[in-house]
Amino acid sequence: MKLDNVFKKTRLPKRRGQGAADTRGPEVPEGLLRKCNMCKEAIIAEDVKKGNYICPKCGGYFRMHAYRRIESVTDEDAFEEWDRGLSTKNPLQYKGYEEKLAALQERTGLDEAVITGKARIGGEETALAVCDGRFFMASMGEVVGEKITRAVERATAQRLPLIIFTCSGGARMQEGIVSLMQMAKTSAALKRHNDAGLLYITVLTDPTTGGVTASFAMLGDVILAEPNALIGFAGPRVIGQTIGQKLPKGFQRSEFLLEHGFIDAIVERPQMKEALSRLLKLHKGGKLQRQDTAAEARQTLKIPPELDKARAWDRVLASRQKGRPVGKDYIEALFTDFTELHGDRHFGDDQAIIGGIANFRGMPVTVIAQEKGRDTKENIQRNFGMPSPDGYRKALRLMKQAEKFHRPVICFVDTPGAFCGVEAEERGQGEAIARNLYEMSALQTPILSIVIGEGGSGGALAMATADEVWMLENSIYSILSPEGFASILWKDSSKAQEAAEVMKLTAGDLYALGIIERALSEPAELTAQNIQSVTQPLGKWMEEFLEKYGDMDGQELTQHRYDRFRKM
Amino acid sequence: MIKKVLIANRGEIAVRIIRACREMGIETVAVYSQADREALHTKLADEAICIGPAPSEESYLSMERIISATVVTGADAIHPGFGFLSENSKFAELCQQCSITFIGPNSQVIAKLGNKQEARNTMAAAGVPVIPGSTEAIFDAQTGAEVARQIGYPVIVKAALGGGGKGMRTAYTEEEFEQSFQTAQTEAQKAFGDGTMYIEHFVQHPRHIEFQILADNFGNVIHLGERDCSIQRNHQKMIEESPSMALTEALREEMGQAAVRAAKAAGYMNAGTIEFLLEPSGKYYFMEMNTRIQVEHPVTEWVTGIDLVKEQIRIASGKKLSYRQEDVRLTGHAIECRINAENPKKNFRPSPGAVTDMYLPGGKGIRIDSAIYSGYTIPPYYDSMVAKLIVWAKNRREAISKMQSALGEVIIEGIDTNVDYQYEILNHPDYLSGNVDIEFIEKMQGDMV
Repeated sequence: MKLDNVFKKTRLPKRRGQGAADTRGPEVPEGLLRKCNMCKEAIIAEDVKKGNYICPKCGGYFRMHAYRRIESVTDEDAFEEWDRGLSTKNPLQYKGYEEKLAALQERTGLDEAVITGKARIGGEETALAVCDGRFFMASMGEVVGEKITRAVERATAQRLPLIIFTCSGGARMQEGIVSLMQMAKTSAALKRHNDAGLLYITVLTDPTTGGVTASFAMLGDVILAEPNALIGFAGPRVIGQTIGQKLPKGFQRSEFLLEHGFIDAIVERPQMKEALSRLLKLHKGGKLQRQDTAAEARQTLKIPPELDKARAWDRVLASRQKGRPVGKDYIEALFTDFTELHGDRHFGDDQAIIGGIANFRGMPVTVIAQEKGRDTKENIQRNFGMPSPDGYRKALRLMKQAEKFHRPVICFVDTPGAFCGVEAEERGQGEAIARNLYEMSALQTPILSIVIGEGGSGGALAMATADEVWMLENSIYSILSPEGFASILWKDSSKAQEAAEVMKLTAGDLYALGIIERALSEPAELTAQNIQSVTQPLGKWMEEFLEKYGDMDGQELTQHRYDRFRKM
Repeated sequence: MIKKVLIANRGEIAVRIIRACREMGIETVAVYSQADREALHTKLADEAICIGPAPSEESYLSMERIISATVVTGADAIHPGFGFLSENSKFAELCQQCSITFIGPNSQVIAKLGNKQEARNTMAAAGVPVIPGSTEAIFDAQTGAEVARQIGYPVIVKAALGGGGKGMRTAYTEEEFEQSFQTAQTEAQKAFGDGTMYIEHFVQHPRHIEFQILADNFGNVIHLGERDCSIQRNHQKMIEESPSMALTEALREEMGQAAVRAAKAAGYMNAGTIEFLLEPSGKYYFMEMNTRIQVEHPVTEWVTGIDLVKEQIRIASGKKLSYRQEDVRLTGHAIECRINAENPKKNFRPSPGAVTDMYLPGGKGIRIDSAIYSGYTIPPYYDSMVAKLIVWAKNRREAISKMQSALGEVIIEGIDTNVDYQYEILNHPDYLSGNVDIEFIEKMQGDMV
């Protein structure tokens, strides 16, 4: 039954403008509502302001004014501005440029497109620069370049870390070649800051493009980005027109860059201050706080003779057992504040290796783990712990970063072997492994590698060219899998069990051979639930390792590492 | 005077408000979601405006869209009904900022009464009894036992971070206390990782008694007697009546005065309801104040003869109350049954869908507030209540007979309803004798199993 127009209405609506003119009708005061330019919904302006300038309807990010941004990430009243009032010489004598600058200064209250200064974040002092897109789309002219360069120089002189929030259309066309030179100028200053061993973090916000991407934006020790920010060198429109193709969805967005290895992490605005504060703290250094120095607790950890009792093949099976703790489990059990950093800065972010900075009993360390994943879905996502070249390059990047900040490196080895596939060869699997052996041998900071499951061949060695290598009782470490060994030597992969017995791949065998320094006993069935039975003694041994090697200087360390392999 | 009202609601309450406006010569604007194009309120109002897709968050809960609809249609007031945005202080504030009259109390009052602790403090300060409880967090059984002694047994121990009945134990005597406290605290520690506890007097076998009040903008406050809403399932009321069998004239007087004090203390304006728990001993405790029109308002309307929605509109227009306390007399007995589209045999699972045929009872002393019609399809997105059947007779016994008879006449085909279930309640010996408390349905369900 249709009900349209069946009811007798007592009144008919008046058209607007008729009658009722005597009373003031409802009206939305100026500024109460605004429209989200992403979802096009009407939203309450106050909600946007209070909610970190994020649309409450679609979750999209509005661009933030520089001073709002500074307020949102720094401690209260802790910002001291530097170099306000620099002005451009208008190098091209470009017509109308100065008038436009003056008009923008008037409208925005800014003197240029970047604000620099000194701030405190979570109590930690840092130099800070924030770009403001309202000012010529925060393009980099000589004043922007100069302010950033001065900020970097001051940070270097005062030994401060530096954080830059980027946002830019690129170089400032009105300043021509002078603008281009700012790319080199800022990069050169940052190189000096780096060489002074100081931390540089960039936070890429929407949009970061052109000459800014191709200079200071991409040079952070740690590169963070806001979600869905446009980040690229050439703009998407230019690329689309040049190649005459439709660009893939999400092209040049933060998530795209994360996947392609160029940024360490995407951080949501409400978590930004905490993320920065944690990174600053982790880079402040810190002394190891030994938890338990009782001698007897450590004495129980001799190499248990029963290690040799079980058959090698049983060890092989145990090392591959489903339910055995994986890299992440050890990270969670042994460290706090683990901050994962992604990407190799060249091609991708290999999920088979995870790495980052964490706190080990008061001391910042770099942790890198080969990760198989906990269930089938994760196994697939992490390629069953078989790393690609990008994974090894990410590991090396994080190790070099650790070296810069004098952080020890702790590696957890658990891989059937480096990934064997066309793409891996195309990107240089062999080169990547070789490079790691080469660089790790002379890394100026302690490296400890712990084999927690399978230590498969070169894929394992590329994370085990260390000062010491330890193994869990039921882990294995070998030239290749027993199946592969049987197949090559005996042309019969079904003889894997026999192969395992002759290969000398157990912790006991390898200890006897002098390949590893320590073997750690395990309960009958090691799982994520009883992982404490391993990580507790492991933690104590790690304390000893860090104390012993932490005292060595770079030369001593590398000599020791050299000698370790030289005698094998 | 208000000339045009936008009803920011749907279903039977929207229809109820449209009718009141029409009788007062006020134009009406209905708002509807895409799922409610064929809804009765959409058809009945003078104007109707679509405010978004079916999910409430994008339509009936979207403040921006409702405000925009009000501006576009030039309505000068919004009636929020119940549920949705009716107790949202931010929405009330937005209305005020946009020169729209919000038919209800102002935003500060809504915010104050919506905050449990603040409401409790306001009431206690005004001399309205609140459930005695610990004022500070308790961490050990010994301190707890002392506090329990001061409060008086039985007590209930609750986890500060509690919810879902976890970390909650009752103790009837001092001997039981330590065991109860330890159990509750251990459970809380396990469930919430926090052993901070509170202790409260445990209200035994209470009835849910609520008082309707009306307050104008000039400080005049009256109460319109009580409603007994003890018949509820999972805190959802099913049957409400007025007056309550449990109240003597003296107690009604006392509780009514407490309700008026409560409203005055809160600086209340417009229609509101103060909910109490009433123990068999006659002790009563403030629970909360609802700052809106209630589902069960018709029972009060019938025993008092006062049209609550019209009073709401009059008050919002800045008029003085039309009644003084001495004008209010409770005459006869009214009962309301909520008819829901749900299947009681399948754990009250909602039963939306097309109403293929329907017949509803009528006659003397029968009122139906409904939003369904034959051929209407009940959308699955909203509350399952589709009609309210209200009866009036000169006493409770006759009112029950009338309700039994009327329920027998309700025919709604095509969907499942709780009509038969309501009929069973109406025939339950404990209901008939008035021997009920808020656990009635739970007990009845237990008997049925």
